[in-house]
Amino acid sequence: MAIENEIRRLRFENGEMTQQALAESVGVTRQTIIAIEQNKYAPSLEAAFKIANAFGVPLESVFRWRNG
Amino acid sequence: MSYREKRAWIALLSYCAVFGGYFFFLWQAWSLDEAFGRELVIPLLAGAVVALVIAAVVLNVALALFSPKEATAPTDERETMIDLKAERIASYTLSTGVVCLVGALLMGVNGMAVAVFLLAGLVISELVKSAAQIAYFRRGA
Repeated sequence: MAIENEIRRLRFENGEMTQQALAESVGVTRQTIIAIEQNKYAPSLEAAFKIANAFGVPLESVFRWRNG
Repeated sequence: MSYREKRAWIALLSYCAVFGGYFFFLWQAWSLDEAFGRELVIPLLAGAVVALVIAAVVLNVALALFSPKEATAPTDERETMIDLKAERIASYTLSTGVVCLVGALLMGVNGMAVAVFLLAGLVISELVKSAAQIAYFRRGA
């Protein structure tokens, strides 16, 4: 998948936030957070903004496009 | 395993068990005596539908009791996408079955056999849908 993310690192930097806590904050299931974190699923723009908002960082600090 | 994936497994296993039994008994009866087989199509189908409803209700209620939080949570975007992808694959399967059925009709297959083949197409498309959901859940999306 061409979209990569820094969710694992950001969770660590936010007091080892659990996947469940992030999922509840975003309004998705824990399995969806796992799929996003492992780059198996590209979230909608709305979910991506909610994830960035949960960490208090801009969207581009969470997700980036990988060329090639 | 997520709640929705467990539900997909329940649907898959229920359909396999109930309609596997239905088609097996129907095939046995049809092999013995075609007229007897024709007579059994509707009563057996009624029994299969009742069994399917009971199995689905009992297993889904049991699942909801074990995971009440997930049971009341709304479907999220990834689950919705998985449902739609699985529905699309199931619709292709059903369309293929209908085309095969038209071919069978043109080759002179009779009325009750057509009904059974159509039912088989519906059941297979439901099995494909559940299997596709499980595969997508396993894969991530």
